[in-house]
Amino acid sequence: MKRLDASKINVCVLRIEGTNNEQEIFESFKRLGANPHFVHLNEFKGLEDFQCLMIPGGFSSGDYIRAGAIFASRIRSTFWDALVEFVKDGYPVGGICNGFQVLVELGLLPGFTRSLGSVNACLAQNDSARFECRHTLLRKTDSKKCAFTHLLPEGETLVVPSAHAEGKLMFSSEKVFERMEKNGQIIFKYCDHDGNTDAGYPWNPNGSPHNIAGICNEKGNVFGMMPHPERSFFKENANGYSGKIIFESVIKYIGDRF
Amino acid sequence: MSDIVEIDLNVPDEGLKSLSEETGTGLSVDELRVIRDYFSKEGRNPNDIELQALGQAWSEHCCYKSSKYYLKKYLFNFDAPQNLFVIKEDAGLVEFDKDHAYAVALESHNHPSAIEPYGGAATGIGGILRDVVCMGAQPIALMDPIFFAPPTTPSENIPKGVKHPKYIFSGVVDGIRDYGNRVGIPTVAGMTSFHEGYLGNCLVNVGCVGIVRKDDIIYSRVGGVGDIFVLAGGGTGRDGIHGVTFASKELDDESQTSSRSAVQVGDPIMKEPLIHACLEANEKKLLTGLKDLGGGGLSCVVGEMALAGGFGAIVDLENVHLKEQDMLPWEIWVSESQERMMMSVKDENLEDVLAIFRKWDVPAVVIGKVIGEKRLVINYHGKKIFDMDLEFLTEGPMYKRPIKKVPIKNKKVEFPMPSDIGATIISLLEDYNNACDDWVIRQYDFEVRARTHSPALVGRENFETHADASIIKPIEGSNKGLAMTTDVNPYMMKLDPFWGAAGAVDEAVRNLVAVGARPHCFADCLNFGNPEKPEKMWEFVQAVQGLAHVVGKIGATFVSGNVSFYNEGPAGACPPTPAIMGIGMVDDVDKAVTTPFKNSGNLIYLVGTTKDELGGSLYLRKMGIEGGVVPKVNPYQLSNATYGLVELMGKGVVKACHDISEGGMACAIAEMCIGNGIGAKIDLKEDMRPDIELFSESNTRWICEVERSDRAAFEDGLRSHLAKFMAIGYTEGNSLKITKEGKEIADLGIDKMIEAWQRPLWNIMG
Repeated sequence: MKRLDASKINVCVLRIEGTNNEQEIFESFKRLGANPHFVHLNEFKGLEDFQCLMIPGGFSSGDYIRAGAIFASRIRSTFWDALVEFVKDGYPVGGICNGFQVLVELGLLPGFTRSLGSVNACLAQNDSARFECRHTLLRKTDSKKCAFTHLLPEGETLVVPSAHAEGKLMFSSEKVFERMEKNGQIIFKYCDHDGNTDAGYPWNPNGSPHNIAGICNEKGNVFGMMPHPERSFFKENANGYSGKIIFESVIKYIGDRF
Repeated sequence: MSDIVEIDLNVPDEGLKSLSEETGTGLSVDELRVIRDYFSKEGRNPNDIELQALGQAWSEHCCYKSSKYYLKKYLFNFDAPQNLFVIKEDAGLVEFDKDHAYAVALESHNHPSAIEPYGGAATGIGGILRDVVCMGAQPIALMDPIFFAPPTTPSENIPKGVKHPKYIFSGVVDGIRDYGNRVGIPTVAGMTSFHEGYLGNCLVNVGCVGIVRKDDIIYSRVGGVGDIFVLAGGGTGRDGIHGVTFASKELDDESQTSSRSAVQVGDPIMKEPLIHACLEANEKKLLTGLKDLGGGGLSCVVGEMALAGGFGAIVDLENVHLKEQDMLPWEIWVSESQERMMMSVKDENLEDVLAIFRKWDVPAVVIGKVIGEKRLVINYHGKKIFDMDLEFLTEGPMYKRPIKKVPIKNKKVEFPMPSDIGATIISLLEDYNNACDDWVIRQYDFEVRARTHSPALVGRENFETHADASIIKPIEGSNKGLAMTTDVNPYMMKLDPFWGAAGAVDEAVRNLVAVGARPHCFADCLNFGNPEKPEKMWEFVQAVQGLAHVVGKIGATFVSGNVSFYNEGPAGACPPTPAIMGIGMVDDVDKAVTTPFKNSGNLIYLVGTTKDELGGSLYLRKMGIEGGVVPKVNPYQLSNATYGLVELMGKGVVKACHDISEGGMACAIAEMCIGNGIGAKIDLKEDMRPDIELFSESNTRWICEVERSDRAAFEDGLRSHLAKFMAIGYTEGNSLKITKEGKEIADLGIDKMIEAWQRPLWNIMG
């Protein structure tokens, strides 16, 4: 099968006022030879030219109401149908930090295939009730399905910085979690230096009930995480893995498939 | 027209005095006489808007009338080869590499923060970002030196009209957090200091560094006649009226209510796209000049930009977009509403500029244009309401104010040695002035932009210790970094403003050197009391001379800064506080050094010389003893040690390094143990009392960790630079053990030290 060369991969890095992690996402793709493009929502002309959509972190529209809610609502009113098609076609969509909150607000995560767009989770305020910036350790679960992490072996631990006030992943019912676990949608869990995933605060910085730091949709092509892999692109663990693997994984996923 | 009032200046002196108070312009009787002479030559009386504009331009805040004589005399006559464009504009420009420069700015936002901590601190961030952006630079880091009375101050000790320091501290941190994090610029360094002298008037200083391609540098001056003034950003409102005149007098017990309107309202989500839009327009070469609207608002920016280019300006004031519609012309002209920038644009580029701002949803309007004559003319709905000579308007007075020496109690004190040295070390570690600042640091996003190579907390995750300086790697693909720190010790300043100020520069240099950076430039924010009081003016002049004592000899100079006088409130004046921001050059960030010990069995060295200098030290304060000798600085020894250590770090010889400051050598070594959980065995060798050796805060000292195999390289390297050093022990185990003449005098487990050092601020602040 002919692989799509990284230099042919166009990544849409979507921005509005208050998104402020777009530069580092842009550079992460650029370093690996892909073609990232900043696209302001006011100048958005469709997803036809792109093989990947990234929603960066920050405080979109100030997040003066629930984090990510305003950006999500503006996406719904501008290109919801096109976005659903994009996801159904298997193209990867990633959200980091505020971008993760946006994808959850859009109902693309947890994103069960039969009920795409229905919202059944939220990122609630941290247990500490404040914004916290700290280096968190993330343990990769046994899931192999996610477009953004398939190159990272099970059990690897990465140091990835967290910086958020609303990162506690809650579900509308425990059934949602059980279904996700069965589907292999849980990708990263917070852990301590021994890889222990129920070490409590501050290893789990926000109090997420199942220590969840990152998830994907049922199909594996939509992915969101609270910590920032783009900030630990160069911070390798003992086995040589770093935040870079997220971007390498999705570039390979696209290359193999489109 | 009723919204313009003519002011009759032909009145007796008492009349002028009350006129100044009624209009809130803050002009003195002498200044009003000069203004009266000017207008009598013009053959008319001024309008209110003209007098208000003069009040802004001639305020201490805007024209440095009390400080510029001394700053020019002592501080501005140094130069360094890396300086590109310094002192003259909102930010100093220093060479980063062949293609890039970095911009440095440091300012105070003290009075607003004392009145309204959240908004005052937030808009402080907003203002300093604009100072950097208006050089065409992308902001890359924020820094916040903040000073409060002890948060544990009992409520009954709070004077009328003063807010509790715990409330102010908490509000200031919230304001910095909510603005800095939202706007997406990392807050990477700073300091938090507590001293009773800040009870009536906290200090909130804020610094920013930006990076700019040399060919994108733009100045705050118009290009030529016919250039169009475009005002961009948020609407103009009644928030922040008389901010600079309010900042140029003492606070009193009425200020909390009477001056609330002088504090601006911040909107980071207007600022974030405003920065993008300004930088985009500048990079596309569509602008001839760019300046921020800060103190004095439109009244300062238009005149200064026009005159800096050698021209004048004509303005149609009704074009300014407003937050509220019934504003008087003078209010529009002097409002300090936030998130506004002024651009000068050639006619043919106007439409392109406006299109960029439309894309970013940022309002931008044409308000005037550049004229040949050096005058400022304002029309309001077709009627001329302002017509003045620009040089007269912006020049401002200069004063050489009287000074009066205050006796210094800089003497050695006698006191008994405590029986338990270990317990004393713990008591110093748990002092909230010295303890871990992570309650503050973690509320700021110190890693947004992913350029933070080394943050303010270093070591094992969740057991980190303090870094001496943060390092930012500004350019993609380049390993060069900028190290950043802010320093001053108010206790030493209070005892001896000359040596305290010299020590502040020494500490900034020490912190830069400790991470492997060459000192590259400094900025100063000089926070002092009322300059009209000779004793306060003396403190200022002493401090400026103290800064000059060191700065001239270290290869880096002051490139930017700010003077904030009148930091006096109902509880008295603040300690003289020259907050120093130091910027260092790191040639290769992979060779940078951090605080925590790296391995067991390595040698520990003291670099520098310990003297019996306990004045202002944490140790004496804990003992409740006043006085003592404030540490002095020998700038030549500082220079020798600096270049010796930086060279060795570049060769990878130094594994860990920490400067010695509050709490002396004992606390420095304790913090090095905490970061990675590696202990130390220290043998005290000086011929002095062990408590003095451990807790002296003598300047120009560091603790270094060196592998045994590098012993000769380290010692020879320092000797070749004539730097003094002494081997004092080695890394080992999981405790800090200290011996003197073979006898153990302390043995502290690392867990115990972490418990003492990490919790205090959390326990107080929650």
